[in-house]
Amino acid sequence: MKINPVYKKELKIGVRTIKTALIILGYNGLLALFGLFAFYATFEYGSRYGGTINYTAVLELYAIIAAVEFGLVLFTVPALTAGSISGEREKQTLDILLTTKLSPMQIILGKLASSISIMILLALSSLPILSLVFSIGGVTFVDMLEFMALIIITAIYVGSIGIFFSCLFKKTTVATVSTYGALLFLVLGTFFILTAIVILKNMNAANLVNQSDYLYQSPKAGYWVLIYLINPAVTCFAVIEGQIGTGSRFVQFLRKFGTSSQWIENNWFFISVAVQGVLSLIFIYFSSRLLNPLKEKRGRRKGRKMGHGRMNKK
Amino acid sequence: MLQIKNLSKTYGKFTALDNLNLTIGKGQIFGFVGPNGAGKTTTMKIVAGLLKPDSGQVYLDGIEQQTHIKEFKEKIGYMPDFFGVYDNLKAMEYMEFYASIYGIEGEKARKLGLELIDLVGLTDKADTYVDSLSRGMKQRLCLARSLIHNPEFLILDEPASGLDPRARYDMKEIIKELNKRGKTILISSHILPELSQMCTNIGIIENGKMMVSGTVEEIMATRGTASPLVMRFTEGQENGIEVLKKNRLVENVTIKDNSVSILFKGNEEEEAMLLADMIKNGAYVSYFSREESNLESLFIQITDHTDGESNEE
Repeated sequence: MKINPVYKKELKIGVRTIKTALIILGYNGLLALFGLFAFYATFEYGSRYGGTINYTAVLELYAIIAAVEFGLVLFTVPALTAGSISGEREKQTLDILLTTKLSPMQIILGKLASSISIMILLALSSLPILSLVFSIGGVTFVDMLEFMALIIITAIYVGSIGIFFSCLFKKTTVATVSTYGALLFLVLGTFFILTAIVILKNMNAANLVNQSDYLYQSPKAGYWVLIYLINPAVTCFAVIEGQIGTGSRFVQFLRKFGTSSQWIENNWFFISVAVQGVLSLIFIYFSSRLLNPLKEKRGRRKGRKMGHGRMNKK
Repeated sequence: MLQIKNLSKTYGKFTALDNLNLTIGKGQIFGFVGPNGAGKTTTMKIVAGLLKPDSGQVYLDGIEQQTHIKEFKEKIGYMPDFFGVYDNLKAMEYMEFYASIYGIEGEKARKLGLELIDLVGLTDKADTYVDSLSRGMKQRLCLARSLIHNPEFLILDEPASGLDPRARYDMKEIIKELNKRGKTILISSHILPELSQMCTNIGIIENGKMMVSGTVEEIMATRGTASPLVMRFTEGQENGIEVLKKNRLVENVTIKDNSVSILFKGNEEEEAMLLADMIKNGAYVSYFSREESNLESLFIQITDHTDGESNEE
């Protein structure tokens, strides 16, 4: 099987830099810090001062470590991808790559794959910390695999956004800030949008009905809740909640904002992965278009028309 | 054979290329000359597939670029006027990376890489990290990289810029060697004497238009009579200039460092008459000679009416 040359080169360069080693150290260091603290809080503190150990709290321990790891993924992937194309541009190596046989899509996929590989490396290196919970039990190996799958899917999703901005902007700094901005919108922006919709609907309803009526149910955002399908943090919540509980807390969380259908609620993970997968493909497609020098660029079309007009006058 | 037909490109209101036509025959070293912003880099980038023209076509051996871009790219090697290199990659690995793009892997890639590194004289630097090489070495490595897929046609944008005389000489020799091996080369440079020494053909571009093109000898022959006449005066320079300005065969009087340079479109007899006329009018002429025609004087002559400092694209 022929391996993408850009992917191979990126990995070779990546492992030689101190940056990769520092990322692994920082990632696992932070994760270990949270994990061990949660471990201490659950067992050491509980047995010494409470005289009892709550073994059901082990699942909470898993939730904490998994959530922290997921947060680290959201934080790390933009840093790995937002400079991937703009960095080539800054190093003046992109033009050379574009004159070779490689298609823009191959360049994009090579870059994305190398970032995801590093993310997988980070996830695998964190397994010993994540397996703290195995010492007590309660979480199965399948759960762990499911969580790893979530990390990879999220890495592809966030990575494709990072690469898109990296193609869109010439400067790595601008691309990085834009990627974090987009991520902030996905995670917090969707939450604020839904909260605002609920508040506005409640304000309107307050003028129409008597809220003391026991049959009164405050209005919700309805199908707008589906906007959460693009929120990776909500997908993570659905996965972890499904693993450590029955998933009812996740459904309750969704219904605070609105109701969709029970089928969607029960299959939230798969649907959101599908939605995020489609979005990733869209971002990758547009990234390759932006990178293709022979494709018409919107900003330039105007200039071209102006040029033609001028020439016609001649 | 490379054919450029009616190529136009504008950047907003700036016309970089204005219906440019150019033909480069197989085995030629074509020197592309022009002031900054004339459209050299734009032309080269379009041929390399890095820019989309507003209109016009580029053909290489009959293959149209826009419709057969992959096939086209396999036939060309491009060396830009800058040399982007990767940190943490050795010269040999740099070559192997580009070889792998063309499906050349393993021992075959290493052998080919070494061969090309040897061709550009970097054999002892094969295992040196690229970012620690000197500018001249990087340029040569970049040239070796552009040859990795054995292209028929090479585009070299300012390959000798920023190099010291020794490195420039080496680069010139490598280019000549490549031409001997059958490569057709399009090269742009500001170092005109060197271009005239190595190029078989020259094209002078200005404001996106090809002003003149052909073999060096052809161009010199057609423009030779107009090579500058240089004179110096010990006294009566004003009188001399007055005579020059009145002569209908004189164009473009330039005074520089006590020398007066003119474009004189006359034969030797008319030159003698001009000299006699100046002396008769009180000008003491200490030096009077027609400069040997060269690419530099030709370039200055053709592009004389421009300021030469417009924006490079």
